[in-house]
Amino acid sequence: MPSRAFRYRGSENERTNGVGVEDGARLMERVRARDVDAFEQLYDGYHRLVFGIALRIASDAALAEDVTQSIFLKLWSAPEAFREGNFAAWLSRVTRNRTLDAVRSRANRATGEIPVDLPAEASTDATVFARIDAQRVRGALSVLNDEQRTPIEMGFFAGITHEEIAQRTGIPLGTIKTRIRTGLRRMREALTEAVSR
Amino acid sequence: MSESTDREALLDLVAAYALGVLPSSEQGFVSALILTDPDARREYDELRATANLVGLSAEEPVDSARAARMKERLMAAVRSDASPRPTSASATRTSAMWGTTLAAAAAVVFALVSVIQNFGLRSDLHESQTRVATLQTRIDADRRTVERDRRMLTDLTASDAKRYTVAYGTVVTRGEHVYLALGSLPPLPPGKVYQAWTLARGAKAVAPSVTFTPSQNGLTLVPIPDDAGNVAAVAVSVEPQGGSRQPTTKPAFVQPLS
Repeated sequence: MPSRAFRYRGSENERTNGVGVEDGARLMERVRARDVDAFEQLYDGYHRLVFGIALRIASDAALAEDVTQSIFLKLWSAPEAFREGNFAAWLSRVTRNRTLDAVRSRANRATGEIPVDLPAEASTDATVFARIDAQRVRGALSVLNDEQRTPIEMGFFAGITHEEIAQRTGIPLGTIKTRIRTGLRRMREALTEAVSR
Repeated sequence: MSESTDREALLDLVAAYALGVLPSSEQGFVSALILTDPDARREYDELRATANLVGLSAEEPVDSARAARMKERLMAAVRSDASPRPTSASATRTSAMWGTTLAAAAAVVFALVSVIQNFGLRSDLHESQTRVATLQTRIDADRRTVERDRRMLTDLTASDAKRYTVAYGTVVTRGEHVYLALGSLPPLPPGKVYQAWTLARGAKAVAPSVTFTPSQNGLTLVPIPDDAGNVAAVAVSVEPQGGSRQPTTKPAFVQPLS
Protein backbone atom coordinates (compact mmCIF):
# COMPACT_ATOMS: atom_id res chain seq x y z
CA MET A 1 0.00 0.00 0.00
CA PRO A 2 1.69 3.21 -1.15
CA SER A 3 0.75 5.40 1.80
CA ARG A 4 2.18 2.91 4.26
CA ALA A 5 5.26 2.28 2.22
CA PHE A 6 5.89 5.99 1.94
CA ARG A 7 5.99 6.64 5.65
CA TYR A 8 7.69 9.77 6.93
CA ARG A 9 9.43 8.92 10.16
CA GLY A 10 9.74 12.42 11.51
CA SER A 11 12.94 14.14 12.45
CA GLU A 12 15.65 12.50 14.47
CA ASN A 13 14.70 14.86 17.28
CA GLU A 14 11.10 13.66 17.25
CA ARG A 15 12.08 10.03 17.32
CA THR A 16 14.62 10.36 20.09
CA ASN A 17 12.08 12.27 22.16
CA GLY A 18 9.64 9.49 21.64
CA VAL A 19 7.11 11.80 20.02
CA GLY A 20 6.71 9.38 17.13
CA VAL A 21 4.91 10.41 13.98
CA GLU A 22 2.09 8.28 12.72
CA ASP A 23 1.99 7.83 8.98
CA GLY A 24 0.99 11.21 7.55
CA ALA A 25 -1.30 9.70 4.95
CA ARG A 26 -3.17 7.75 7.60
CA LEU A 27 -3.45 10.82 9.82
CA MET A 28 -4.92 12.70 6.88
CA GLU A 29 -7.56 10.01 6.52
CA ARG A 30 -8.55 10.70 10.12
CA VAL A 31 -8.44 14.46 9.55
CA ARG A 32 -10.90 13.94 6.70
CA ALA A 33 -13.22 12.47 9.32
CA ARG A 34 -12.79 15.68 11.40
CA ASP A 35 -10.57 14.01 13.99
CA VAL A 36 -9.01 16.84 16.00
CA ASP A 37 -6.51 14.54 17.74
CA ALA A 38 -5.22 13.37 14.39
CA PHE A 39 -4.83 16.96 13.29
CA GLU A 40 -2.86 17.75 16.44
CA GLN A 41 -0.56 14.80 15.75
CA LEU A 42 -0.17 16.00 12.21
CA TYR A 43 0.88 19.43 13.44
CA ASP A 44 3.30 17.95 15.99
CA GLY A 45 4.84 15.76 13.34
CA TYR A 46 5.13 18.15 10.45
CA HIS A 47 5.26 21.76 11.63
CA ARG A 48 9.07 21.69 11.68
CA LEU A 49 9.09 20.62 8.07
CA VAL A 50 6.60 23.25 6.94
CA PHE A 51 8.15 26.05 8.98
CA GLY A 52 11.67 25.01 7.95
CA ILE A 53 10.90 25.13 4.23
CA ALA A 54 8.99 28.39 4.53
CA LEU A 55 11.82 29.98 6.51
CA ARG A 56 14.45 28.73 4.08
CA ILE A 57 12.56 30.24 1.16
CA ALA A 58 11.31 33.45 2.74
CA SER A 59 14.17 34.21 5.18
CA ASP A 60 11.46 35.84 7.25
CA ALA A 61 10.26 34.08 10.40
CA ALA A 62 7.00 36.02 10.60
CA LEU A 63 6.10 35.17 7.03
CA ALA A 64 7.14 31.55 7.58
CA GLU A 65 4.84 31.43 10.59
CA ASP A 66 1.94 32.83 8.58
CA VAL A 67 2.54 30.32 5.83
CA THR A 68 2.71 27.48 8.35
CA GLN A 69 -0.58 28.56 9.90
CA SER A 70 -2.30 28.90 6.56
CA ILE A 71 -1.10 25.53 5.32
CA PHE A 72 -2.24 23.66 8.41
CA LEU A 73 -5.58 25.44 8.39
CA LYS A 74 -5.99 24.41 4.77
CA LEU A 75 -5.12 20.82 5.66
CA TRP A 76 -7.97 20.95 8.12
CA SER A 77 -10.48 22.68 5.88
CA ALA A 78 -9.61 20.88 2.64
CA PRO A 79 -7.98 17.55 3.56
CA GLU A 80 -9.13 16.03 0.26
CA ALA A 81 -6.38 18.03 -1.47
CA PHE A 82 -4.03 15.23 -0.41
CA ARG A 83 -4.96 12.06 -2.18
CA GLU A 84 -2.29 9.43 -1.69
CA GLY A 85 1.42 8.79 -1.76
CA ASN A 86 4.19 10.34 0.28
CA PHE A 87 2.52 12.90 2.50
CA ALA A 88 5.78 14.58 3.57
CA ALA A 89 6.90 14.97 -0.05
CA TRP A 90 3.51 16.35 -1.04
CA LEU A 91 3.47 18.72 1.93
CA SER A 92 6.97 19.79 1.08
CA ARG A 93 5.93 20.74 -2.47
CA VAL A 94 2.78 22.45 -1.26
CA THR A 95 4.77 24.48 1.27
CA ARG A 96 7.31 25.44 -1.33
CA ASN A 97 4.65 26.66 -3.76
CA ARG A 98 2.65 28.48 -1.12
CA THR A 99 5.70 30.22 0.32
CA LEU A 100 6.89 31.30 -3.10
CA ASP A 101 3.45 32.79 -3.75
CA ALA A 102 3.56 34.57 -0.41
CA VAL A 103 7.06 35.89 -1.02
CA ARG A 104 6.13 37.10 -4.47
CA SER A 105 3.07 38.94 -3.29
CA ARG A 106 4.44 39.68 0.22
CA ALA A 107 0.90 39.02 1.34
CA ASN A 108 0.10 35.57 2.56
CA ARG A 109 -3.08 34.42 0.89
CA ALA A 110 -4.42 32.25 3.67
CA THR A 111 -7.58 31.37 1.80
CA GLY A 112 -5.84 30.23 -1.36
CA GLU A 113 -6.24 26.75 -2.72
CA ILE A 114 -3.66 24.07 -2.15
CA PRO A 115 -2.23 23.36 -5.56
CA VAL A 116 -2.75 19.84 -6.75
CA ASP A 117 0.22 18.22 -8.44
CA LEU A 118 0.10 15.72 -11.19
CA PRO A 119 0.24 12.62 -8.99
CA ALA A 120 3.20 10.33 -9.27
CA GLU A 121 2.61 6.70 -10.10
CA ALA A 122 1.72 4.86 -6.93
CA SER A 123 3.99 1.97 -7.87
CA THR A 124 6.99 4.28 -7.71
CA ASP A 125 6.05 5.29 -4.19
CA ALA A 126 5.65 1.70 -3.19
CA THR A 127 9.08 0.60 -4.31
CA VAL A 128 11.25 3.51 -3.35
CA PHE A 129 11.78 5.63 -0.26
CA ALA A 130 9.81 3.42 2.06
CA ARG A 131 11.51 4.97 5.09
CA ILE A 132 12.54 8.50 4.44
CA ASP A 133 13.36 11.38 6.73
CA ALA A 134 15.12 14.74 6.72
CA GLN A 135 18.43 13.22 7.68
CA ARG A 136 18.38 10.78 4.79
CA VAL A 137 17.46 13.53 2.35
CA ARG A 138 20.33 15.68 3.63
CA GLY A 139 22.60 12.67 3.24
CA ALA A 140 21.43 12.13 -0.33
CA LEU A 141 21.99 15.78 -1.17
CA SER A 142 25.47 15.65 0.32
CA VAL A 143 26.36 12.91 -2.16
CA LEU A 144 25.95 15.40 -5.01
CA ASN A 145 28.76 17.69 -5.98
CA ASP A 146 28.19 21.43 -5.76
CA GLU A 147 27.59 21.68 -9.49
CA GLN A 148 24.60 19.36 -9.21
CA ARG A 149 23.32 20.37 -5.78
CA THR A 150 23.31 24.14 -6.36
CA PRO A 151 20.85 24.25 -9.30
CA ILE A 152 18.56 21.74 -7.57
CA GLU A 153 18.45 23.71 -4.33
CA MET A 154 18.13 27.01 -6.17
CA GLY A 155 15.29 25.60 -8.22
CA PHE A 156 13.42 24.22 -5.24
CA PHE A 157 13.98 26.93 -2.66
CA ALA A 158 14.31 30.05 -4.82
CA GLY A 159 11.49 29.10 -7.16
CA ILE A 160 13.28 30.36 -10.24
CA THR A 161 13.36 28.94 -13.75
CA HIS A 162 16.31 27.04 -15.16
CA GLU A 163 17.04 30.08 -17.36
CA GLU A 164 17.34 32.27 -14.26
CA ILE A 165 19.55 29.67 -12.60
CA ALA A 166 21.79 29.77 -15.67
CA GLN A 167 21.91 33.57 -15.56
CA ARG A 168 22.69 33.74 -11.85
CA THR A 169 25.39 31.11 -11.97
CA GLY A 170 26.81 32.12 -15.36
CA ILE A 171 26.58 28.52 -16.53
CA PRO A 172 25.07 27.67 -19.95
CA LEU A 173 21.40 26.69 -19.84
CA GLY A 174 22.00 23.29 -21.44
CA THR A 175 24.56 22.46 -18.76
CA ILE A 176 22.16 23.51 -15.99
CA LYS A 177 19.42 21.31 -17.41
CA THR A 178 21.74 18.32 -17.60
CA ARG A 179 23.07 18.90 -14.09
CA ILE A 180 19.56 19.08 -12.67
CA ARG A 181 18.67 15.76 -14.23
CA THR A 182 21.88 13.97 -13.34
CA GLY A 183 21.71 15.45 -9.84
CA LEU A 184 18.15 14.29 -9.26
CA ARG A 185 19.04 10.85 -10.62
CA ARG A 186 22.03 10.60 -8.33
CA MET A 187 19.99 11.80 -5.37
CA ARG A 188 17.40 9.18 -6.13
CA GLU A 189 20.06 6.48 -6.25
CA ALA A 190 21.46 7.66 -2.91
CA LEU A 191 17.99 7.62 -1.33
CA THR A 192 17.27 4.20 -2.75
CA GLU A 193 20.54 2.92 -1.36
CA ALA A 194 19.89 4.58 2.02
CA VAL A 195 16.44 3.09 2.48
CA SER A 196 17.58 -0.37 1.40
CA ARG A 197 20.23 -0.49 4.14
CA MET B 1 22.33 16.70 -33.23
CA SER B 2 21.73 12.92 -33.12
CA GLU B 3 18.41 11.35 -32.24
CA SER B 4 19.73 10.10 -28.88
CA THR B 5 21.06 13.55 -28.01
CA ASP B 6 17.65 15.00 -28.84
CA ARG B 7 16.08 12.39 -26.64
CA GLU B 8 18.39 13.21 -23.74
CA ALA B 9 17.62 16.92 -24.17
CA LEU B 10 13.91 16.15 -23.95
CA LEU B 11 14.41 14.14 -20.77
CA ASP B 12 16.45 17.03 -19.34
CA LEU B 13 13.35 19.15 -19.88
CA VAL B 14 11.25 16.55 -18.08
CA ALA B 15 13.66 16.75 -15.11
CA ALA B 16 13.38 20.55 -15.07
CA TYR B 17 9.60 20.18 -15.11
CA ALA B 18 9.75 17.69 -12.22
CA LEU B 19 11.80 20.13 -10.15
CA GLY B 20 9.42 22.95 -11.02
CA VAL B 21 11.92 25.18 -12.81
CA LEU B 22 10.50 25.03 -16.31
CA PRO B 23 9.16 28.34 -17.64
CA SER B 24 5.41 28.30 -18.24
CA SER B 25 6.00 28.73 -21.98
CA GLU B 26 7.55 25.24 -22.12
CA GLN B 27 5.29 23.48 -19.63
CA GLY B 28 2.53 22.65 -22.11
CA PHE B 29 4.90 20.89 -24.45
CA VAL B 30 6.53 18.88 -21.67
CA SER B 31 3.23 17.93 -20.05
CA ALA B 32 2.05 16.68 -23.47
CA LEU B 33 5.25 14.70 -23.80
CA ILE B 34 4.77 13.15 -20.36
CA LEU B 35 1.23 12.24 -21.18
CA THR B 36 2.07 10.57 -24.44
CA ASP B 37 5.55 9.12 -23.99
CA PRO B 38 5.96 6.26 -21.47
CA ASP B 39 9.71 6.91 -21.03
CA ALA B 40 9.06 10.57 -20.31
CA ARG B 41 6.29 9.59 -17.90
CA ARG B 42 8.59 7.21 -16.02
CA GLU B 43 11.32 9.81 -15.85
CA TYR B 44 8.84 12.36 -14.55
CA ASP B 45 7.40 10.04 -11.90
CA GLU B 46 10.81 9.10 -10.56
CA LEU B 47 12.32 12.56 -10.58
CA ARG B 48 9.20 14.29 -9.32
CA ALA B 49 9.15 12.01 -6.28
CA THR B 50 12.82 12.79 -5.69
CA ALA B 51 12.47 16.53 -6.27
CA ASN B 52 9.61 16.78 -3.81
CA LEU B 53 11.84 15.31 -1.13
CA VAL B 54 14.41 18.10 -1.50
CA GLY B 55 12.24 20.20 0.81
CA LEU B 56 12.71 17.74 3.65
CA SER B 57 16.30 18.87 3.97
CA ALA B 58 15.03 22.22 5.25
CA GLU B 59 13.29 20.74 8.28
CA GLU B 60 14.59 22.36 11.41
CA PRO B 61 13.55 22.80 15.03
CA VAL B 62 11.14 25.64 15.72
CA ASP B 63 11.73 27.62 18.91
CA SER B 64 9.35 26.40 21.55
CA ALA B 65 7.54 29.71 22.10
CA ARG B 66 6.77 30.09 18.43
CA ALA B 67 5.74 26.45 18.06
CA ALA B 68 3.41 26.73 21.05
CA ARG B 69 1.90 29.99 19.81
CA MET B 70 1.22 28.58 16.36
CA LYS B 71 -0.24 25.41 17.80
CA GLU B 72 -2.47 27.26 20.23
CA ARG B 73 -3.94 29.45 17.50
CA LEU B 74 -4.39 26.54 15.12
CA MET B 75 -5.96 24.21 17.61
CA ALA B 76 -8.35 26.92 18.80
CA ALA B 77 -9.49 27.48 15.23
CA VAL B 78 -9.78 23.76 14.53
CA ARG B 79 -11.64 22.95 17.76
CA SER B 80 -14.15 25.73 17.23
CA ASP B 81 -14.70 24.51 13.69
CA ALA B 82 -15.00 20.87 14.75
CA SER B 83 -17.31 21.21 17.78
CA PRO B 84 -21.07 21.73 17.54
CA ARG B 85 -22.36 25.18 18.48
CA PRO B 86 -23.11 25.40 22.26
CA THR B 87 -26.75 25.70 23.26
CA SER B 88 -27.75 27.06 26.70
CA ALA B 89 -30.58 25.47 28.69
CA SER B 90 -32.80 28.54 28.47
CA ALA B 91 -32.21 28.87 24.79
CA THR B 92 -33.21 25.22 24.43
CA ARG B 93 -36.43 25.75 26.38
CA THR B 94 -37.31 28.87 24.40
CA SER B 95 -36.63 27.20 21.11
CA ALA B 96 -38.73 24.19 22.22
CA MET B 97 -41.72 26.50 22.92
CA TRP B 98 -41.30 28.26 19.65
CA GLY B 99 -40.85 24.90 18.03
CA THR B 100 -44.31 23.75 19.15
CA THR B 101 -45.96 26.96 18.02
CA LEU B 102 -44.14 26.97 14.74
CA ALA B 103 -45.02 23.34 14.11
CA ALA B 104 -48.70 24.06 14.60
CA ALA B 105 -48.54 27.10 12.35
CA ALA B 106 -46.64 25.15 9.78
CA ALA B 107 -49.30 22.42 9.77
CA VAL B 108 -52.03 25.00 9.04
CA VAL B 109 -50.00 26.65 6.33
CA PHE B 110 -49.15 23.27 4.83
CA ALA B 111 -52.81 22.29 4.72
CA LEU B 112 -53.79 25.54 3.02
CA VAL B 113 -50.96 25.36 0.56
CA SER B 114 -51.82 21.73 -0.22
CA VAL B 115 -55.37 22.67 -1.17
CA ILE B 116 -54.18 25.49 -3.38
CA GLN B 117 -51.41 23.46 -4.92
CA ASN B 118 -53.62 20.51 -5.82
CA PHE B 119 -55.00 22.60 -8.63
CA GLY B 120 -51.59 23.11 -10.06
CA LEU B 121 -50.25 19.60 -9.44
CA ARG B 122 -50.88 18.26 -12.89
CA SER B 123 -49.06 21.06 -14.65
CA ASP B 124 -46.24 20.83 -12.07
CA LEU B 125 -45.96 17.11 -12.71
CA HIS B 126 -45.70 17.66 -16.42
CA GLU B 127 -43.08 20.34 -15.90
CA SER B 128 -41.11 18.05 -13.57
CA GLN B 129 -41.24 15.21 -16.09
CA THR B 130 -39.90 17.53 -18.78
CA ARG B 131 -37.14 18.69 -16.43
CA VAL B 132 -36.19 15.10 -15.56
CA ALA B 133 -36.06 14.19 -19.25
CA THR B 134 -33.80 17.18 -19.94
CA LEU B 135 -31.52 16.25 -17.05
CA GLN B 136 -31.39 12.64 -18.22
CA THR B 137 -30.33 13.80 -21.68
CA ARG B 138 -27.59 15.89 -20.11
CA ILE B 139 -26.43 13.00 -17.92
CA ASP B 140 -26.28 10.72 -20.96
CA ALA B 141 -24.23 13.29 -22.85
CA ASP B 142 -21.87 13.73 -19.87
CA ARG B 143 -21.51 9.95 -19.58
CA ARG B 144 -20.57 9.71 -23.25
CA THR B 145 -18.01 12.50 -22.77
CA VAL B 146 -16.48 10.73 -19.76
CA GLU B 147 -16.31 7.44 -21.67
CA ARG B 148 -14.69 9.17 -24.63
CA ASP B 149 -12.15 10.94 -22.39
CA ARG B 150 -11.34 7.69 -20.59
CA ARG B 151 -10.82 5.86 -23.86
CA MET B 152 -8.67 8.73 -25.10
CA LEU B 153 -6.45 8.65 -22.00
CA THR B 154 -6.10 4.88 -22.27
CA ASP B 155 -5.04 5.21 -25.89
CA LEU B 156 -2.65 8.10 -25.24
CA THR B 157 -0.81 6.35 -22.44
CA ALA B 158 -0.86 2.83 -23.88
CA SER B 159 2.53 1.24 -24.46
CA ASP B 160 1.42 -0.10 -27.84
CA ALA B 161 0.37 3.32 -29.14
CA LYS B 162 2.40 4.80 -31.99
CA ARG B 163 3.76 8.26 -31.36
CA TYR B 164 5.02 10.78 -33.87
CA THR B 165 6.76 13.90 -32.59
CA VAL B 166 5.59 17.01 -34.43
CA ALA B 167 5.88 20.73 -33.89
CA TYR B 168 4.14 21.60 -30.59
CA GLY B 169 3.51 18.01 -29.51
CA THR B 170 2.75 14.52 -30.65
CA VAL B 171 0.44 12.65 -32.99
CA VAL B 172 -0.69 9.40 -31.40
CA THR B 173 -2.38 6.47 -33.10
CA ARG B 174 -3.71 3.36 -31.46
CA GLY B 175 -5.98 0.86 -33.13
CA GLU B 176 -8.38 2.82 -35.25
CA HIS B 177 -7.92 6.05 -33.30
CA VAL B 178 -5.84 9.11 -34.12
CA TYR B 179 -5.15 11.91 -31.64
CA LEU B 180 -3.24 15.16 -31.61
CA ALA B 181 -1.64 15.96 -28.24
CA LEU B 182 -0.35 19.47 -28.62
CA GLY B 183 1.23 21.84 -26.11
CA SER B 184 2.24 25.51 -26.30
CA LEU B 185 0.33 26.17 -29.50
CA PRO B 186 0.79 29.79 -30.57
CA PRO B 187 -2.24 31.94 -29.72
CA LEU B 188 -4.64 32.41 -32.60
CA PRO B 189 -5.45 35.74 -34.24
CA PRO B 190 -9.05 36.88 -33.72
CA GLY B 191 -11.52 35.02 -35.89
CA LYS B 192 -9.14 32.12 -36.53
CA VAL B 193 -9.08 28.48 -35.43
CA TYR B 194 -6.73 25.57 -35.86
CA GLN B 195 -7.93 22.97 -38.32
CA ALA B 196 -6.76 19.39 -38.70
CA TRP B 197 -6.42 17.81 -42.14
CA THR B 198 -6.20 14.18 -43.07
CA LEU B 199 -4.80 12.56 -46.18
CA ALA B 200 -6.58 9.30 -46.92
CA ARG B 201 -4.46 6.43 -48.18
CA GLY B 202 -4.23 6.65 -51.96
CA ALA B 203 -5.72 10.15 -52.01
CA LYS B 204 -3.97 13.06 -53.68
CA ALA B 205 -5.45 15.88 -51.65
CA VAL B 206 -6.11 16.39 -47.96
CA ALA B 207 -9.63 16.44 -46.57
CA PRO B 208 -10.84 18.88 -43.91
CA SER B 209 -11.14 17.47 -40.39
CA VAL B 210 -12.00 19.00 -37.02
CA THR B 211 -11.33 22.59 -35.98
CA PHE B 212 -10.11 23.45 -32.49
CA THR B 213 -8.65 26.19 -30.32
CA PRO B 214 -5.77 25.77 -27.84
CA SER B 215 -6.88 24.77 -24.37
CA GLN B 216 -6.30 27.15 -21.48
CA ASN B 217 -4.11 24.70 -19.56
CA GLY B 218 -1.50 24.48 -22.29
CA LEU B 219 -2.31 20.96 -23.43
CA THR B 220 -4.74 20.45 -26.29
CA LEU B 221 -6.01 16.96 -27.00
CA VAL B 222 -7.82 16.52 -30.30
CA PRO B 223 -9.39 13.22 -31.35
CA ILE B 224 -9.45 12.92 -35.13
CA PRO B 225 -12.69 11.23 -36.21
CA ASP B 226 -11.09 9.27 -39.09
CA ASP B 227 -10.07 5.61 -38.91
CA ALA B 228 -6.31 5.50 -38.36
CA GLY B 229 -6.02 2.64 -40.83
CA ASN B 230 -7.23 4.88 -43.63
CA VAL B 231 -5.13 7.92 -42.77
CA ALA B 232 -1.79 8.33 -44.53
CA ALA B 233 -0.95 11.72 -42.99
CA VAL B 234 -2.32 14.42 -40.74
CA ALA B 235 -1.65 18.15 -40.78
CA VAL B 236 -2.74 21.23 -38.86
CA SER B 237 -3.08 24.79 -40.14
CA VAL B 238 -4.63 28.06 -39.03
CA GLU B 239 -7.93 28.74 -40.74
CA PRO B 240 -10.86 31.16 -40.51
CA GLN B 241 -13.53 30.44 -37.90
CA GLY B 242 -15.70 27.55 -39.09
CA GLY B 243 -12.85 25.94 -41.01
CA SER B 244 -11.93 25.78 -44.69
CA ARG B 245 -12.41 23.29 -47.49
CA GLN B 246 -8.72 23.44 -48.34
CA PRO B 247 -5.76 24.73 -46.31
CA THR B 248 -5.36 28.47 -46.74
CA THR B 249 -2.18 28.83 -44.67
CA LYS B 250 1.08 26.93 -44.42
CA PRO B 251 0.53 23.94 -42.08
CA ALA B 252 2.14 24.00 -38.64
CA PHE B 253 3.10 20.41 -39.41
CA VAL B 254 2.42 17.59 -41.81
CA GLN B 255 2.98 14.14 -40.34
CA PRO B 256 2.89 10.92 -42.39
CA LEU B 257 1.53 7.94 -40.46
CA SER B 258 3.05 4.53 -41.02
